[in-house]
Amino acid sequence: MRAAGDLVARVQMARGMRIAEAKAYVAEKLSVSVSELTDPVIMTEVRQDLQIGQIMPLPGCAKGIEAKFRLSEVLELDINCVNRFKDRTAI
Amino acid sequence: MVDEQTIKEAIKAIVDHDEAKAIEITKKFIEAGNNSLEIMTEGFIPGIGEVGDQFGRGLLFLPGLVQSADVMKKVTALVNEALPEKQLEKPGVVVIGTVKGDIHDIGKGIVVALLRANGLVVHDIGRDVDTEKFIEEAVKVEADVIGTSTLLTTTMGHQKDLEKELKKAGLRDKFKTIVGGAPVTGRWAAKIGADAYAEDAQDSVVKIKELIG
Amino acid sequence: MATILTRYGDGTMLTMSEKELMQDLEAGTQDAAERGNIPALSKEELAHLFDIFSLPYNFVSVEPGNEVVLTYDAGTLKIRRVGVNVDRIQALQIYEKIMGADTMELCHVDYSFKPIKPIVTMEQPILEQALLSTHVPLFYGAMPNLGTYTQPDGPFPNPSELMPMGDIEGARASYDATVEEAVKDIVYAARAMHASGADGINLDTVGAAGEADFKASLMAADILKKEFPEICIELGMAGEFILGMHGEMEWEGIRLAGMYPHEQVKLAEKAGVTIFGPVVNTNTSESSPWNLSRAITFMKACCDVATIPIHVNMGMGVGAVTVNDHPPVDVVSRASKAMVEICRLDGL
Repeated sequence: MRAAGDLVARVQMARGMRIAEAKAYVAEKLSVSVSELTDPVIMTEVRQDLQIGQIMPLPGCAKGIEAKFRLSEVLELDINCVNRFKDRTAI
Repeated sequence: MVDEQTIKEAIKAIVDHDEAKAIEITKKFIEAGNNSLEIMTEGFIPGIGEVGDQFGRGLLFLPGLVQSADVMKKVTALVNEALPEKQLEKPGVVVIGTVKGDIHDIGKGIVVALLRANGLVVHDIGRDVDTEKFIEEAVKVEADVIGTSTLLTTTMGHQKDLEKELKKAGLRDKFKTIVGGAPVTGRWAAKIGADAYAEDAQDSVVKIKELIG
Repeated sequence: MATILTRYGDGTMLTMSEKELMQDLEAGTQDAAERGNIPALSKEELAHLFDIFSLPYNFVSVEPGNEVVLTYDAGTLKIRRVGVNVDRIQALQIYEKIMGADTMELCHVDYSFKPIKPIVTMEQPILEQALLSTHVPLFYGAMPNLGTYTQPDGPFPNPSELMPMGDIEGARASYDATVEEAVKDIVYAARAMHASGADGINLDTVGAAGEADFKASLMAADILKKEFPEICIELGMAGEFILGMHGEMEWEGIRLAGMYPHEQVKLAEKAGVTIFGPVVNTNTSESSPWNLSRAITFMKACCDVATIPIHVNMGMGVGAVTVNDHPPVDVVSRASKAMVEICRLDGL
């Protein structure tokens, strides 16, 4: 969570990918290198720029379900609760 | 002296829970004028040891273990019948249960099955058992060993309570105590003053036999 | 000759010579290889383990680039168990923001699917609220816990009572009956949580009551995957082999009793499980090197054959971690490093 572990986990969960493939997938979608995925300094900046949720919830940054909306788009993954939210809010 | 072939057949009869074969081996051995204890110690006891080992490795399952125990009980009766009274050994008596506040008894059930298979008289007093009940039962059945099981870290303290209560009642030297369960270790056993710790069901047989001597 | 400081499986400190260390590493892998009928670790892998144990540091870690996903199960239960009196959503936020968890699980303190069934509509809003305020992937999970279906906790005769009376068929029939009921309860709760938006369903401590537990979990996973092809199901095991309480129970024509992780994972894959969490138990009387070498042998065999992600269980008494409430970091970090570097696993 401090870097990109939650994103890699999401890809494992949604696509059943093993670690190397999942890391490569996330790195490509975020336009970073695989080695940068585990760097908390770089990843905090990337997460902030992409609005996909971060440890420190600064004013105006995407939080909770908002971050997952963006995450779904950035990673091109269906996220169950995001889809449910869209249904319930008629988005 | 038991010949190698008979030993092999006795072990196999127990592992395969082949009652007819085990009885046939026992009767034949006794009728030939041998000391029946020899077939027990050299054939059937190693056989039940093999059963315990195979269970611990996932090669043999509980129904098989129970059936082997049943065969063991029957050959033990035949062996004892043939022994002069002075040679008859009193089987060890164990009181066992899961401690107060803990309803998990699957592991304890396996231990009970294996202890019985090894010829011990086991009084299984169930789960969620009060400390006082362990002592009452042990006094009532004149137990050699009290065994307590616990799956939870939150209920381990009752194993310590037993040690305290036994001391308070002046009965600590009358019984040996053994502890087991997922969070329990040899370190814990030593800390609370239990006489032994069993890693698993097969280890409980070894440790209880050592305790009884 | 250097002296290596390590521990027994119960956490007690232990010093070993280099020769003793290698002997224990060899004995550990040999024990696993014989039990599981799997390859022992190679000389190079044993040498790598030797190096890890020889490191003079309290905490060790993997080389950059080898990091894996770090997950937690039952966190909303465990945080209360240690006396931190926060509600479950706060617990999830603490794990996400402070512990840095990569996935989390919402669970009820009565951690079995059977008691969840009657309160599932009270659990759903908690999950729905949690999903609004967190961004970590969120599972809903519980144990199949088939022990809760037999007397005195459930309707069916207790096999542990029938078996000693010689009623083996009666005991087996009872196990069979528990499977049917457990599948209904797991599927019922999982459907509800999926409808509420859960990122995944976690079946935890599978096999705790023997092969009936495993069968019910496989059957439930199979049903759920067919109904919701996109659902993520994680199966976390209870022990290193499936306890044979029934002895003849099968799933898809395969006997379940006695299966080790490398065999379990293939059935999990067949049932549609997304992530598999194998377990190797720690022997408290053996050394940490013996336990770790043994655990890695089992886990490597599992990872080698798996086509789905493997999240190895590492914690008190499993994965070569000592049986302590809060295990020492020297053991946990060595076990984690070795697991990741030798097994090529996907998460912890």
